[in-house]
Order: sequence, then C-alpha cells, then structure tokens
Amino acid sequence: MGREVEATAEESLVRRSAHGDGRAFAVLVNRYKGMVFSTACRLLNDAGRAEDAAQETFIKAYAALPGFRGEAKFSSWLYRICYNSCISMLRKKRPEVELKEAATASVPGPVEEVRSRSIKQAVMDEVVEMPEDYRAMITLYHFNGLSYEEIALTTRKPLGTVKAQIHRARALLKTRLIERVGWEELRKVMWT
Amino acid sequence: MNCNELKSLVQEYVTRELTPEDRHRVDTHVMDCQDCRRELALMSAVVSGLDSQPASEPPAGFAARVMAGLPRQRELVLSPWWSLAAAPVLGVLAYLFRAPLLESVLRLAGRTGIGQVSVTELGLAQMAIVPAVVVLLALGVTAAAATYCWRSC
Ligand SMILES: [Zn+2]
Repeated sequence: MGREVEATAEESLVRRSAHGDGRAFAVLVNRYKGMVFSTACRLLNDAGRAEDAAQETFIKAYAALPGFRGEAKFSSWLYRICYNSCISMLRKKRPEVELKEAATASVPGPVEEVRSRSIKQAVMDEVVEMPEDYRAMITLYHFNGLSYEEIALTTRKPLGTVKAQIHRARALLKTRLIERVGWEELRKVMWT
Repeated sequence: MNCNELKSLVQEYVTRELTPEDRHRVDTHVMDCQDCRRELALMSAVVSGLDSQPASEPPAGFAARVMAGLPRQRELVLSPWWSLAAAPVLGVLAYLFRAPLLESVLRLAGRTGIGQVSVTELGLAQMAIVPAVVVLLALGVTAAAATYCWRSC
C-alpha cells in the first residue's frame, strides 16, 4: 500500500517533470542523485568524472522525459541513461593515470587491516579492480537492482552474455576474496 | 546432486533464482558436504556484500547545479490552476469596471442590430451579470484546460 502510494507520487512527479515542472524534477533529482552519482562512481572509478556524468544524466533525462512512456520503472530508465553517459565518457577519454590511481588507492593493506574492515568493504574493493564490463554488469544488477533483461537492454548485449558475464564476475570476486584475505581470515570476518 | 552440479547452481541459490525443488536439493547436499557448504557461504558473502553497498551522496550543491543546467524553454507558464485562481480576480475587476464594460457590450450589440438599450436604463442587479459572466468564462477555460491536461498526461 505504502509502496503503491509512493509509486503514484513518483508517477505524478515524472509526469509533471515531463511537462516542464522544474520543482517536480528537483524532487526527482534529490531522490535519485545518490544512486546516480554512486553508479557513475562505480562505473568510472573516478569521483570527479562521476559528478559530471551524473549531472549529464539528469540533464539528458529532463530533455528525454516527454518521450518516457513508463514501460520501465523510472529508476531503471534513469540508470540506463547514466550507464550510457558513463560509457561514452569512458570511450571519449581514458586517462590511464587517473584509473591507475583509483585502483592503487584501493589496494588493501595487510590482512589485519582487511579483517578490521567489513566484508562489504572488501567486496567493494575487489569490484573497483574488476574489468570494466564486469564492473558495469555487477553494478547494474546488484546496486541498481536491474533485471538481467533490463541489463541486456541497457548494455545492448545478448541476454546470455549478460548472465554469463555476471556469473563470471561473481566467481572472480569470490576467488579474489579468498586470494586476498585467505579462507581462514574470511571465515572469521564472515562470522564476526 | 553431486558437487559439480551444486557449484553450477550456487549463484542462483544465493540470488534466489532456483526452483523450490532445486533449492531443496542444494540444501540436502550441503548438509553432508563441507566443501559445498564453504562454497555456498563464500558466495553468500560475496552477494550480500554486493547487495548491501550504500549509495554515496554527491558533492554539496549538486542538485542546484543540475537545475541550473536545465534548458529554460520548457517552463510551464499556463496551468489550469492559474486560470482557476484568476477567475475571482477577473470577476472583481469586471465588477469594478462594470459600467464601461457593459456600455461597450451594448454599443457592440447596437451596432450589430441585436438591440438598443442605454446603460442608465439598467439596474444594479442586471449590471452584476457582467462579472458573473466573466467568472463563468474563466471557470469554463479552467475546466477545458484541466480536461485537456488530464487527457494528454
Ligand atoms: Zn559437495
């Protein structure tokens, strides 16, 4: 019931925004800015460029809203725009140095340090270092909550490829976690 | 179920994509197999780690910068609610200027040959018709605009 009310409220915000109501759109921006920015951070591995991508996402969404027919959830539609902005940004310019910096910044210290942090952080550190494709798939599925079908639509990849890549990505994460932390250590973290 | 089969289903088990039958088969297998129990625990840790990532907030002023970057031309100027608010205002204005308004209406009527009445012949009650008509007109516009909006939305 509560969710239904929320959905209706969102529907009305989306409709008003499509008609150019800036105040309604501001509500949507505030509601989704965290998710959109975080998605861009994960896809780009760079907070500065993520802010640009997130901003571009909302501006593109505002322009495209009159064409949004509500077949998909608004959030899924928005994350798709975000994904496309990030991918075109990645293709446009690839500052290797920045990416390398982002990667080295997240290399964990000794095992003791990892143990003191949560397993969540350890998983996130590994996601940062994954290949771009895997990182994007994992982000869209687990962070944005898109279905396999929606991811296929977003990334323009066959459904089978999407499923296979997500499987491989999770398997890779698992292997890397053991390598990085060690099973015995991991068990302590998992059950403490 | 053997260990290889379980390993091929472990992700679907954790993400709850398995049929109840397959779920049950996995549950039964891991009861007696420590290796697979470990496999399952690890994948659960990975997936719950992935599922519980918090969103981080963008830098301060982000929303304001987005709003400032929006194109201006699609600003909504006329909404049916504006004309609803305008109706009483128009009514009051029409009442205040009822004499010249009525006079011009009558002059127009006289010129087209509909009728010839002088303002002075009309009483106060009849002169109140003008603001009433204006209010009704404004309300009519509101209703039409609201209906149009409702249909096109
Ligand atoms: Zn087994």
